[in-house]
Amino acid sequence: MRILRRIRGPRLGTKIMLLGLTLLIVPWFSYRQLVEMERLLIQGQSNAQLLTAEGISTLFNGREDLFNDLPLAIEDFENLYAHPLQGPVRLDGQLEDWGEDMTDNLLRFGSEGAPGDADLQLVLGERGGNLHAFLRITDGDRVFRDPEYLRLDAADHVRLTFIRANGEDARVALTMQEPGPTTAYDMDLNWQYAQTGNPNSAVQGHAIETETGFQFEFRLPLQLLGSSRYFGLAFVDVDDAASRGITHITQTLPTAGKESFNLAVLRSPEVLSIIRGLGYSGARILVIDAEQRVRAETGSYQTMETERAPPNPALALLRQAFDELRPLLHWVTTGETYQPLQPRPEDSDGTADAAISESLSGEPISLRRSVGDSEIIIAAHPIVSRGTVIGTVVVEQNIRDILSFESSALEQVILLSVAALIAVFIALLAFAGRLAWRIRSLRREASGAIDQYGRLRISELHSEMKAGDEIGDLARSVSSMLSKLHQHNNFLENMPRTLRHEINNPLNTLSTSLENLAEENPDVRQSKYLDSAKRGVIRIGSIVQNLADAANLDESLEAEEREVIDIAELLQSYVANCKITHSNCEFVLRRPEHPVYANISDYHIEQLLDKIIDNAVDFHRSNSPIKVHLDYQRDQLQITVANRGPVLPERAEESLFDSMVSHRGPQNRLHFGLGLYVVRVIAEHHGGFVRAMNLEDGSGVAIVVQLPCVESRHTATSRTANGQSDPLLAVRRS
Amino acid sequence: MARTIAIVEDDPDQRANYADAITMKGYQVNAYANREEALEGFDEALPDLVILDIILGDEVDAGFQLCRDLLAKSPSLPVIFLTERINEIDKISGLRLGAWDYLPKPISLDYLAERISSLLRINEVRAENEEETSATAKRIGDLVLDQDALLVSWRGHRIDLSGTEFRMLAKLVRMPGHAVSYETLMNATMQSLVTNNTINTHMRNIRKKFEKVDQGFASIKSEYGFGYRWSG
Repeated sequence: MRILRRIRGPRLGTKIMLLGLTLLIVPWFSYRQLVEMERLLIQGQSNAQLLTAEGISTLFNGREDLFNDLPLAIEDFENLYAHPLQGPVRLDGQLEDWGEDMTDNLLRFGSEGAPGDADLQLVLGERGGNLHAFLRITDGDRVFRDPEYLRLDAADHVRLTFIRANGEDARVALTMQEPGPTTAYDMDLNWQYAQTGNPNSAVQGHAIETETGFQFEFRLPLQLLGSSRYFGLAFVDVDDAASRGITHITQTLPTAGKESFNLAVLRSPEVLSIIRGLGYSGARILVIDAEQRVRAETGSYQTMETERAPPNPALALLRQAFDELRPLLHWVTTGETYQPLQPRPEDSDGTADAAISESLSGEPISLRRSVGDSEIIIAAHPIVSRGTVIGTVVVEQNIRDILSFESSALEQVILLSVAALIAVFIALLAFAGRLAWRIRSLRREASGAIDQYGRLRISELHSEMKAGDEIGDLARSVSSMLSKLHQHNNFLENMPRTLRHEINNPLNTLSTSLENLAEENPDVRQSKYLDSAKRGVIRIGSIVQNLADAANLDESLEAEEREVIDIAELLQSYVANCKITHSNCEFVLRRPEHPVYANISDYHIEQLLDKIIDNAVDFHRSNSPIKVHLDYQRDQLQITVANRGPVLPERAEESLFDSMVSHRGPQNRLHFGLGLYVVRVIAEHHGGFVRAMNLEDGSGVAIVVQLPCVESRHTATSRTANGQSDPLLAVRRS
Repeated sequence: MARTIAIVEDDPDQRANYADAITMKGYQVNAYANREEALEGFDEALPDLVILDIILGDEVDAGFQLCRDLLAKSPSLPVIFLTERINEIDKISGLRLGAWDYLPKPISLDYLAERISSLLRINEVRAENEEETSATAKRIGDLVLDQDALLVSWRGHRIDLSGTEFRMLAKLVRMPGHAVSYETLMNATMQSLVTNNTINTHMRNIRKKFEKVDQGFASIKSEYGFGYRWSG
């Protein structure tokens, strides 16, 4: 209960800390803003992409000529892509001049698995209306054409199969008598003899011999192929120069069930050239026709994986912690469950397909999907010609930049918030601590300014007096209060002395006048009224004197010299004399047998004893002894004066030793309650204290004075002269 | 020729009362209300004895100043302070100035008259034989007490005691070895209002005066709760 009563509310520090918690609104607000910003950015990105797609699509609106140069049904064919070639190409059997990375586009044909004889690698290119082809052939035994043989299939050669513009099948064999330019012949149905003796000059080629085989490069005009663009290719390998039989035929012709030709699909160069200029980093632009065939493509949404320097472990840990924390943070700040876009490989294409189909049905659309560890936005806008959709423009943009920007912003926000929170908390803590300390020290000094009896100890404060803030104001106002109180107190303390000065003069006038009166009129001298008047004068004088004495007590105590005196001896003599002065009382002294020394002023101790003994004599029951006991323990001596008689009224114990407090009845007019006050002042001046208590059996009162004593060598051996068995002294401890 | 007594007292009633009482005892009285008046009077003729109040009007130390001036003129002039200022410090400064006695108000006029005659007599005795030990001198151990001249000496050293102190000492040594009660000592002071504290203060002063000439002085013993005892 006492503890509960002491806690009246949160302390200053706690309050300030609680206020500091409002700073948590900063990360909360930041996070909300961040989420909103992410949404806006992505929204803006989608819109921008859609606009881009729309812009590109308007370039193609009404240009169905760009799209309808492909057979409509291509499902039955395997496609041979013809890559657009950037620069001029020389027919030299080398791939280097085709452009960068063409080697990667080489398609393999021939034996499965390990490379074998007559294996074929092929890449097609397109430039200036010509179809270019490059073949790298593995051939251990190279057999060149012998002009002696009329049959053309008696040496290594390359067969081309396609459908001419007029619909006829075309069979062309590229032969060579030696490495260098090749000769093309239109062939008969059995690929044995040339139809005509003249070579086909439209197809030009060049072959070189390498360590492992041949490298062929040839070109043929695209108009030869017509619109169907069926195109097949085979390498016929002859290994035995003597027998000249065909060993292998490696062909690009499809397997059974398919048409007998591959389809050479050419990107629409015009479309490509249109969108090429539009590509930008991190974005891929696709032009897709109504058959969902990609007609042109530029850029890549896979941004450059700039391998950043590996972050230091602490940062990585922090980032991980953020990732762990984010769902909770998201939930706390927005109230929604955090749903990061999970990569869904199984239907990632589905999303794109959905977008494409949606846009092909005439609606622009933008979608978000996740590929691997990055997210992309797909925006698709239809290309319209004469009211029908002839294709769509798809713009895919990687938004990893946005997301990583967001997450790094999140990290920064959280990091800054935490740092700011910690900093502010520390600052608040320090501030609160300092504030509390200042207030506490002020309180200590202020409450220490007045002692338990309400007397002023100091007349002004020292701490916080120079502080400019409210605490300083408080200190100053308390201090000025104290100094005013001090003045008032001074006035009160000097009052008895002033009173005495002021009263003594008229009193003297009175007393001398009385005497003169008696002298002048001898018959008055016998009058009882003169006597009573003189007694009155004496009584007033003694009252004033007592008051002044009590007021001067502190001063006279200060002036008093102390000496080390045997208190036991003093008491012995004192009690012996008491028996003479108070002959109607019995006194019992109990004292240690050896001296008890104390550093005291003997007059004042005597005065103290006078007051206590007076008190005890006044209150004692007749025929009961007044007991005076001296005990001591180590550095404390205790004088107990006990008498049987009326007990103290309740609560009197506390006020008994205050000035002007008397618990005597109204019949004792000459007592002003100064006696025991004097006792207290003297005891306290000697570094001791005094208390009054009722005897345990309720038969009387004991006044106990404790004073510090000078340690003597007897201390340890003996405590009291005769035990603790005396019931009179077994006082009730309150 | 009647002796001249000068009274300096600012309160007219008291001044008149003193003057009346003392005149009745057969003395010539000059009463002054303030310091200036008194100084003028003293310039004309010095009285045989002066009774001074300390506070005169607004001057709180006028009595002390007058005392200093008077004793400068005539060092052997008996001066009595009669004042309501009964603080220890005032008493001590008064006696240090050379005053013969320091009497607190209120005072009995009979006592005042007795003091006056006693001091005048002592002054006469002193004036008659400055050096010789008086025939009335009494010897108790190391202590020599001359009742008439109010002279005390301890082991040959002269000790200056005020009138009250002398009286108390005389009472104390009347029966060496016997305790003298506070009451007896109070009577010896011949003052109307005396407490144990006053006696203690006087005794301490006496002790100190003896200790000044003899470090080992311990003849005045306290009888706690009763009084004092002289153990020669």
